[in-house]
Amino acid sequence: MKVILMKKLLEANDRLAEENRAYFSGRHLLAVNLMGSPGSGKTTLISAVAKELPGIPVGVVEGDIASSIDAEKLEKQGIRSAQINTCGECHLDSHVIRDGAEQIDMRDGIIFIENVGNLICPAEFDLGEATRVLAASVPEGDDKPFKYTPMFSYADAVVLTKCDLKEAVGFDTENFSKGLRAVSKAPVFEVSLKDGAQPLGIAKFAEYLKEKYLALK
Amino acid sequence: MHELPVVLDIIRTMEEETKKRGLKKITEIDLVIGELSSIVDESVQMYFEIAAEGTPCANAKLVFDHRPAMLQCTVCKRKFPHGKDFLCPYCGGDSVLVQGTGREFYIRSYDGGQG
Repeated sequence: MKVILMKKLLEANDRLAEENRAYFSGRHLLAVNLMGSPGSGKTTLISAVAKELPGIPVGVVEGDIASSIDAEKLEKQGIRSAQINTCGECHLDSHVIRDGAEQIDMRDGIIFIENVGNLICPAEFDLGEATRVLAASVPEGDDKPFKYTPMFSYADAVVLTKCDLKEAVGFDTENFSKGLRAVSKAPVFEVSLKDGAQPLGIAKFAEYLKEKYLALK
Repeated sequence: MHELPVVLDIIRTMEEETKKRGLKKITEIDLVIGELSSIVDESVQMYFEIAAEGTPCANAKLVFDHRPAMLQCTVCKRKFPHGKDFLCPYCGGDSVLVQGTGREFYIRSYDGGQG
């Protein structure tokens, strides 16, 4: 006998993601899923944007395959951090997020989920976040939106990091924008957060997040 | 890339279905997979053949229905399925992704019986 089923695959992740969504909402938390390749500048971005949001509590759930380097770095700045080591899993999924969030135990503010460095897999796993941000760095090349369509079409906002390196690597901003515009209406925030130099462009991205936070019910 | 958990999910779902409907054997499973879901048929097939052994799904045929993402031409506004590139097949204009398309990922139907 033939049976029409229409059942979504990997539904378990989505169901837990909805539970996470309710958890974040109940605690007045703006959950931000921050994705990007290894070395794209995710941790640096969290550190910099937190400094631009003095009135808003910021916490982070750090996802890495191993080590607690990132969580420790952010803790030193006064950002409550929980480190999740995925031990080989290439992305975070919704069931580990809840553990991390409960460790930080925030009741208000912005909670960053710094995903595992990976430009492919995180785009398949809803974590229950309100906003998806992709950190794309200039040295990765201006053709990445053409090659990594699932990730670039998934993000609600793109932060183009390490803009001070555009000339050094021959980055064609127009080409990058063209590739992104073909698959997404996400705004692009160009930043430069070079160690020892004046941070550039971070205020606009902070404003974007602040607006989303203030819009929470 | 996550074909193994997908396969385990398929087998688990089919086991629930056989219990619910009193079936002994699943002979065919129809899968709908969008092009932006990063799932490779051959890997699904390979994991399935191994993981299905000893279950009601053993030797079931997997049928893959691929759904392309839909694009919309920025010039003539027509919509069309994504093929090779982002150029409109009607007027040659640049086109953009229709948001939300190409992400389908589900079991549409299956065939089973008493063995």
